[in-house]
Amino acid sequence: MTAWGLAWRTIARSPARSVLAVAGVTVIGALLFNMLLLSRGLLVSFRDLLDNAGYDIRVIAAQGSMAHRPPIADATSLAEAIARLPEVESIALVRTDLGQVSAPGENAAWTPIELIGMTDSKGGGWTIVKGSPLPTGPSAGEPPVVVNTTLASMLHLEPGSRLRLRLTSAGSASALPLVTVRVIGVGGFAFEASGDLNVATTMAGFAVAHGTPADRQAEMVLVASRPGAAAPALAAIARLRPDVRVLSNDQVMAQFNENAFSYFRQISAVLSSMTLAFAFLLIATLLTMSVNQRLGEVAALRALGFPRRRIAANLLWESALLVGIGGTAAIPVGGVLAIILDRILRQMPGVPARLHFFVFEPRTVVLHAALLALTGAVAALYPIWLATRLPIAATLRREILS
Amino acid sequence: MPAGAVTALGDVDIRVDAHDYVAITGPSGCGKSTLLHILGCVDQPTAGSLVFEGRDVSTLKESDRSRIRLTRIGFVFQRFFLLPMLTAWENIELPQAEAGAAKPARRDRTRELLDYVGLAGRRDHRPSQLSGGEMQRVAIARALANRPALLLADEPTGELDEETGAQIASLFDRVHGDGTAIVVVTHNPAVAARAGRHLAMKSGRVITS
Repeated sequence: MTAWGLAWRTIARSPARSVLAVAGVTVIGALLFNMLLLSRGLLVSFRDLLDNAGYDIRVIAAQGSMAHRPPIADATSLAEAIARLPEVESIALVRTDLGQVSAPGENAAWTPIELIGMTDSKGGGWTIVKGSPLPTGPSAGEPPVVVNTTLASMLHLEPGSRLRLRLTSAGSASALPLVTVRVIGVGGFAFEASGDLNVATTMAGFAVAHGTPADRQAEMVLVASRPGAAAPALAAIARLRPDVRVLSNDQVMAQFNENAFSYFRQISAVLSSMTLAFAFLLIATLLTMSVNQRLGEVAALRALGFPRRRIAANLLWESALLVGIGGTAAIPVGGVLAIILDRILRQMPGVPARLHFFVFEPRTVVLHAALLALTGAVAALYPIWLATRLPIAATLRREILS
Repeated sequence: MPAGAVTALGDVDIRVDAHDYVAITGPSGCGKSTLLHILGCVDQPTAGSLVFEGRDVSTLKESDRSRIRLTRIGFVFQRFFLLPMLTAWENIELPQAEAGAAKPARRDRTRELLDYVGLAGRRDHRPSQLSGGEMQRVAIARALANRPALLLADEPTGELDEETGAQIASLFDRVHGDGTAIVVVTHNPAVAARAGRHLAMKSGRVITS
């Protein structure tokens, strides 16, 4: 009989204890799996959001960051210069401001919104679910807008609906005009948070809302480089203007990774260590108890000539079986738990609704298995030492006398 | 408070030949089991030497002593120490597998031994489904699995009633008759009487031989 077979029989010999042990490893393994998913989930999900926006380079003012973006002076000229670069496929200008909207009518309530002005009709981050996208060229009459689904649902907006819009920039609200805009589409915004109310319009529409002619400013220039030309495009754009920062998606990720996401990574690292410590203690305790209960058997096997390595192999297999079964069961349990936790965390204010905290990756399963296997092996060390180093004659004598 | 050193055995010089049947008797604590464990390469004497089949065991590594125990020495214990999760068949087959015997050879030998100890019909029973006498017979079969030159038994009838003990003693006679040397530690005069040699021990010494 192989060491594996003997270990299996040993585990099956005490079904209640084995079931409890496997259940314990399953719960601990599920938590570990969750922590591992969390450790990279935001990074993977945010990277996915960035990549799916259709742009791989972002240009902001030199003194700004991705979270706080002061306007870039004469962004229009910069955008034109970038667009002329051979490494660049397309560009878009982005501006944002805070405002309020209401349905037409004297007594309608005002609803706070974020207004986004873009030169790109596809928005680099929203998907039209109803109506049409923003026009690429000039449009006559009332500025066209695309509203997000939450706002559309709240104000019962459909393509063709009209809205009153006024910006609420600090200190200048009274000077800003009240404009009527025309809803031409309803869309899902990639970076919108749960409960966010977004309105997107053209840059011309944005200027109308400001009550000024287009002022050639923008907060950000989005750039899509040609395939394989991201690095040269990045370098070429950086050479154009010294007063801007040019960030690749990797650099944007690094910026978020150092700041916003690092908390989750640290929490994940601490909790992962704790769960591994629990797994170690659980397995070590159970195996030690198991060995202590059958010291006589072990001593007899040793007296019969079974070498130490065989005794060690049996215990290692016992540990592997407990960890293997529990760890495998932990994947689906952890998966369900991750879905529930993800749903809760995504309700946090300011978090893009399409951003996930827990993202499944095959490498997480491999890492999970490797960590549990290592923990199982380390946890088996003391029981193995106990079983292989026991004094055979004294143990047999003690067992006879007991 | 630390206990003082105890000399379990002193001035013991015995020789067991290939076809010997030796019974060791004496009061509890006189060193019978210690002597048996030293003879079985389980314990190491603090002084003196043990020579087994011409090799000085005290100079061997633990792994070599394990190999000798596995292939050349059989052990029978008072409490049987069968693995409770294995059947009678599996308990007998286990040492053979450990010794590296091929599966067909193991199968034949296990069947032969179950017949030998009269338990062919109980091959798939676990220890918990066997009586004390049956468990001891399985333990004897296990001890004989790798055709040892020496069979050591420590109070093999200690847990059995008189009649069952007599059956086990008869089985030892048969094993000895088939050419295996036996050293048995016993309190049972009936078992001791069957041995060809009788060592009486007291306070760690052999007083009559």
